[in-house]
Amino acid sequence: MSAVPQYITRSSVSDTAEYFRYPDEVREQFIATDDIEFRDGSRVTSLEVWDYLTQVGPVKYPNLYDNSSLYTGRLSHDVTFAFNLKNAYLSMTMHERMTKAKAQGRPIVFVQGGQSVDPYYAAGAVALRPASTGSWARGQREGLTRNQDELESRSDKQKAYNAISFEVCNSAGYEHIQEGNVPADMVAPYTALRCSDVSYGTEAHRHGPRAKEVKLLLVDYPLDHQRDKEWAIRYFADNLHRLTRSIDEQTGRKTTDDDLAREIKLHNEGRRLAIEIADLWWSADLAPTNGRDRRSLFLLGGMETHGDPVASLSLLREARRDIEKRVRQGHRTEGVLDNAARLFVCGSCVFPNDLRTEEAGGIIVGNDNHWSDITTLVNEDGDPYYELARAVLSYPYEQPLKERAGWTVDQIRKSRTDGVLFLYKWGCNTQSAIARLLVDEIKAQTGIPTIIIEDDMTRTQTEQLQNRVNSFIEMVS
Amino acid sequence: MALNALELIYKRLRERPQELVEARANGAKVVGFQAYNLPEEVIYALGLIPVRLGSGGDGDLVEVGGRYISTKNCVYVRSTVGLFAENTDPYIVNSDIVAFDATCLQTFRTAEVVQYYFNREVIILGVPRNFYLQEAHTYFAAELRHFVSRLEAISGVTLTRERLADSIALYNGIRDAIVRIYPYQATKNPAISWEQVFDVIQAGYVLDRREYLGLLESLLAELVQQRGAPVIGGEDDEARIFISGSTIPPGDKKLISIMQELGGRIVGDDLWSGLIPYVDVQIEDATLEALASAYLNRTPHGALPYLELATDRRIKRLKELITTFKANGVIYHTLRYCDPYTFKAKETKDILEKEGIPLLELHTEYAGSDFEAIRTRVEAFVEMVKLRAESEEAA
Repeated sequence: MSAVPQYITRSSVSDTAEYFRYPDEVREQFIATDDIEFRDGSRVTSLEVWDYLTQVGPVKYPNLYDNSSLYTGRLSHDVTFAFNLKNAYLSMTMHERMTKAKAQGRPIVFVQGGQSVDPYYAAGAVALRPASTGSWARGQREGLTRNQDELESRSDKQKAYNAISFEVCNSAGYEHIQEGNVPADMVAPYTALRCSDVSYGTEAHRHGPRAKEVKLLLVDYPLDHQRDKEWAIRYFADNLHRLTRSIDEQTGRKTTDDDLAREIKLHNEGRRLAIEIADLWWSADLAPTNGRDRRSLFLLGGMETHGDPVASLSLLREARRDIEKRVRQGHRTEGVLDNAARLFVCGSCVFPNDLRTEEAGGIIVGNDNHWSDITTLVNEDGDPYYELARAVLSYPYEQPLKERAGWTVDQIRKSRTDGVLFLYKWGCNTQSAIARLLVDEIKAQTGIPTIIIEDDMTRTQTEQLQNRVNSFIEMVS
Repeated sequence: MALNALELIYKRLRERPQELVEARANGAKVVGFQAYNLPEEVIYALGLIPVRLGSGGDGDLVEVGGRYISTKNCVYVRSTVGLFAENTDPYIVNSDIVAFDATCLQTFRTAEVVQYYFNREVIILGVPRNFYLQEAHTYFAAELRHFVSRLEAISGVTLTRERLADSIALYNGIRDAIVRIYPYQATKNPAISWEQVFDVIQAGYVLDRREYLGLLESLLAELVQQRGAPVIGGEDDEARIFISGSTIPPGDKKLISIMQELGGRIVGDDLWSGLIPYVDVQIEDATLEALASAYLNRTPHGALPYLELATDRRIKRLKELITTFKANGVIYHTLRYCDPYTFKAKETKDILEKEGIPLLELHTEYAGSDFEAIRTRVEAFVEMVKLRAESEEAA
């Protein structure tokens, strides 16, 4: 049996589980890093973050500290990367932070992931994508092991299946919002082609137990060359106006054009930082972080992960400096081979297990979902609603397939990808529909190998997926 | 007594593929389409031949289509892609241009796949999800203008008010005739069955529309002559079944055959391959704006989400039609991965339960492997509906 690192302890709950601990030897270095600033003006110091992660977190959420490599959500072991710890802190404190925001009078709005959240925040709301909704709900359950947490989550999802359909992939947070686990005031996602279930899931809220309390609205995203059609941009801008007016009805204030313009500036900074980080990351000979941290870092540029764009910016600014330093110093990341097979993930909202991918000799260097929106900056001059509408309708992921493929090929080339995985979740109609088309076009343009895999998004039963990913790595290596 | 017009419709259907070949040889252009909110009027008004594409019931086509689009798409979509891949269906072969609308997002994806793999000229009509808002009507009118401009370029004809007015009048006539024919199938000892009316409606997908109107008028005249005004009703112990849910396109006879075999009588539907597209179309003027609004103001397709249950016109229309046709049970037919209707199944069941109307959801696809499973469930449902009808009569 291999030696157990000192920061991994045996569980008192199960004799098979191992629990991760942040090692004391990095404490001093970490507590010297920046504070996290929040939207309400409050801040936490790195010392407070450290204490939370080492004292509070392990007691409240032992499931999150489960160190099994089978656990897709396992905490990253890159403990000298301050972003990693702060990102974990923001995830773990979702419940308490969102409860506080709600108490401060901020409407809680369910949104579609992978989209700009600028207008929601401009109107004073908190925008929660599906994963964040789940994170808030799960944060209310303390002391669970990973298996217990997984069972509870499956049980939650079953409520959506019962109320809507067993073919539901994304239930628009139905199970948490209608069961009252998450006190959402509105369900108001964009209807983008990315996920059709979100629109039908939103409709399903009309028959739920909290139907009268939760306001429903769809921000209608036109299709088919929408960015080239003036009338489509105007229509989407009208929908954005309707969105902010609806949130205003909750807050009792009036969102002005200046509010939106200010918010766009703030979110553009996040998007720019993420793009700069990606360019740095991809330029490095050696991967400056592991795949899990790369994904979290790039994703943060969308400002939608933690329900607080100011906190996200705080992390991004610091991470930008740290990544630049790592790239300059030729940092070697533990667990990642120097010559790892570089994979790019296309498709819907599922991902392989980064750790096991790295154990097999690969690393995921990029993805299209939750990235195309971030790479689309909003023009800061002119009518902010119109400019935001124009930008959102320009997301490469939502363009006609040849254009989407062209953008994806650009990302693949920038990231020096060796192979492309197209993943989609069981029941995902609109992304699965074009899986073959997209990879055929990518293959035609680049000649690099591709594979299409279906996944069921459970956190532990991933062998079917991982076996295929590992074989693919072996092939492209 | 036989209905001559009905026989003629079946005959003309058999002759139609060859007619299209000849029309194209003489310079006519055929617009094959698959859509729910595409006003056919504009295609016809430009001198183009509209033909609705798509069929069901063939598991082989589903398998072939699934090689290009995903197995997680509904079987109708896969079957459609299969039709293009096989390229032997006369209506697919004879389509010069292929048009789709974005009502159902899977149909939108079908358009992309067809364009990419089968090198077809594809035109798409965008459809708003928030169809009930004024700004959505403005957007849809602009989309329709864009769509028409592309058809004008293909046909070499400009859409004038007169052309559009003539076409609208023709289609209004078709809609009116279908709405008047439809109740005859729901009467006691009907002269025409629901299955036959269903065939008549679907014949209109491909026949020349002016000839089709003539055939409908002849059929209606025969029905009036034989039966007078329709009086809806049947035997006391009848299982009068209403069909709702996902589309049942031409060729998909599985559920209909099972119903016939087991003595359940279909007396109504709100299918988009059945009655519903012909109901409540009020075009106020011969303009594209009026046409766009009229289509959006119809009973909505399930793929367009509506967020307020109390004012949902789809539910309201469903209840009205069930009452009108004196149905005492509903079979809610859903195709696997047809989210627009599958997601509403339980909700619809709960609503109708409060009205005392039983609903059976049948989740199926085009393979024959579930034939017996469906048969068993339909048999039990029909028996239950009959028993309820008998006991209500006795009470």
